[in-house]
Amino acid sequence: MLNHQLVKLKHEIQFGQNRGINMNIAVLLKQVPDTTAKITISGGKVDANSVSKWSMSPYDEYALESGLQIKDKTGGNLIAITFGPERTKKMLTDAAAVGADTLVHISDEGVRNEKNSFYIDSTHIQKLLSAAIKKYEANVVLCGKQAADTNSGSTGPGVAELLDSACVTLVSEVNYLDGTFTALRPSNTGTEKVSVNGISVFAFDKGSSELRRPNVRGIMMAKKKVIESITSEDLGVDVGDLRVNLDSQTPPPEKAAGQKFEGAEHVPIVVLKLRNEANVI
Amino acid sequence: MAYEALDFYDVDSLLSEEERMVRDMVRDWVDEEVIPNIEKACRDGVFPDEWRVALGEMGVLGAPLKGYGCPGLSYTAYGVICRELERGDSGLRSFASVQGSLAMYPIWDFGSEEQKNYYLPKMASGEWIGCFGLTEPDYGSNPGDMITKAEDKGDHYLLNGAKMWITNGSIAELAVVWAKLDGVIRGFIVEKNDPGFSAPEMKGKHSLKASVTSELVFQDCKIPKDRMLPSVKGLRGPFSCLNNARFGISWGALGSAQACFNSSKDYAMSRIQFDHPIASYQLVQNKLAWMLREITKGQLLAYHLAQKKDAGTWIPEHISLAKMNNVDIALEIARVARDIHGANGILDEYPIMRHMANLESVKTYEGTHDIHNLIIGRHITGIQAFTRNA
Repeated sequence: MLNHQLVKLKHEIQFGQNRGINMNIAVLLKQVPDTTAKITISGGKVDANSVSKWSMSPYDEYALESGLQIKDKTGGNLIAITFGPERTKKMLTDAAAVGADTLVHISDEGVRNEKNSFYIDSTHIQKLLSAAIKKYEANVVLCGKQAADTNSGSTGPGVAELLDSACVTLVSEVNYLDGTFTALRPSNTGTEKVSVNGISVFAFDKGSSELRRPNVRGIMMAKKKVIESITSEDLGVDVGDLRVNLDSQTPPPEKAAGQKFEGAEHVPIVVLKLRNEANVI
Repeated sequence: MAYEALDFYDVDSLLSEEERMVRDMVRDWVDEEVIPNIEKACRDGVFPDEWRVALGEMGVLGAPLKGYGCPGLSYTAYGVICRELERGDSGLRSFASVQGSLAMYPIWDFGSEEQKNYYLPKMASGEWIGCFGLTEPDYGSNPGDMITKAEDKGDHYLLNGAKMWITNGSIAELAVVWAKLDGVIRGFIVEKNDPGFSAPEMKGKHSLKASVTSELVFQDCKIPKDRMLPSVKGLRGPFSCLNNARFGISWGALGSAQACFNSSKDYAMSRIQFDHPIASYQLVQNKLAWMLREITKGQLLAYHLAQKKDAGTWIPEHISLAKMNNVDIALEIARVARDIHGANGILDEYPIMRHMANLESVKTYEGTHDIHNLIIGRHITGIQAFTRNA
């Protein structure tokens, strides 16, 4: 079905309809604890309730901005998709404030691991996301290369596998011209440009453009936008048993206290420490 | 670390989702673009033009005004915007106050349809900056005795006089100027290229250094007849504008106070004296607790006033109380914050001294602290105490 859509899309492009084509751009978003928020570990697990600020995962922001730029050039429908608890809807509204058209919230009800409210098997999420991508008939999928909380980096490749699509990772820019998606990514020699035939998942590293700032008009429009909330049942997905368990989490070791040296007589010691301990000279 | 706003009573949970989104938008912008650049702007004595562009792009100018390309937000949202801007700097909030409440508002409320359609969209987008000319060199708290006058010359008006302490004056495309026509105060729109009009910048300020302050000089300044605001006469015109601006200030001052509180808390937690952080000493905790107490009371005052403003159940005295109180406590918090920071408090590495110097202006402009006390005093007693002559 997806390749059929792309063929149709290419046909429209060949006839010079660069704008106004009915392209569905799916952007996968994850809400994570803000990278500057304090994290508390309670009972060997990160305490989600103690997180003071939730934000869109930074690499997903690059994917969203790229999706918006493609939409600006070609027209189409930007579908922001997330999986998670109720609080994640706020992130979808934030995405709408910068231009997302369709907001899809896949509820974690019935999927979330009862033992650990903060962790869900990545393959479960991939199944749900790929089912939603099919349901909304996306022509291209953009996501971050990894989430800022779990850092597992499996969503893009995992979703691509389930969609039977190409996957290009660590991209900094995605463009759409004459029916073909191209992407820039780092290579041994600098940067390489790749083009993709057929449906593709692009996983963003740091992108070339930061996510645009919302404005009051966008915020007012976003307020009116309906979030389509769906469940695994709606998607016809049986996620199956949990295969990967998160057993425990521990905070990083506390930093040792700094060392203070006064007077010229300490210079040789400091030089030695900088060379042997800090490895900076 | 991300900015964690002091909100001890969780007052922001009373905001609508839209108001919270506007808050976050402005807050993020202030964190990313204003705070890293504010000290340089102060040293250079300029209001960075990119801030004008950004405020226009965000669509927050003239926040509570509806139609004519204006945002159409609630007064509560306008208050929140002022608070977030003033956490960056009072000069930045002053820019937004003057543009929205003092220049756009009178055109929106008292202007002709032609004036509204011509000026407001360009002002909401930030393309055109406006300023407001009421105060004169000899008439500050007593604007009713202003000298600036307008004469009807048949096919035009002729303005003569001078205004002083005008925020945005030298960078404005237009000024809303209050002048006496046949002894009655009227509002006029003066454009920057009108003959006989000049706006020299006032230099040497130790306060609001990242804000442009100017004189407005009218020497046989000739303006077309269609530039008078048709729908208002007397002091009601400028006072209506000032009520809105003062409302914004009552929120804005809390932003300065919150910035000073946060810096004080962080400093006290990390500054070691006598082997312990100074935050562990009772005298310092007393100061921090007092700051929190006053900020929390100020937040409740500002929020409730905003609700009254949105419901239309306010009186000017409500605004006087909030402006007077919240600027007063913000200034005192800045002074106590300087004390907690010790000598470091005078450096521009910390925002303290800048906020303190700014707030000295904020205490005086838009109705001095004393004048607001007299407004409240008149409300209590029914006796005006502004002058002995009445």
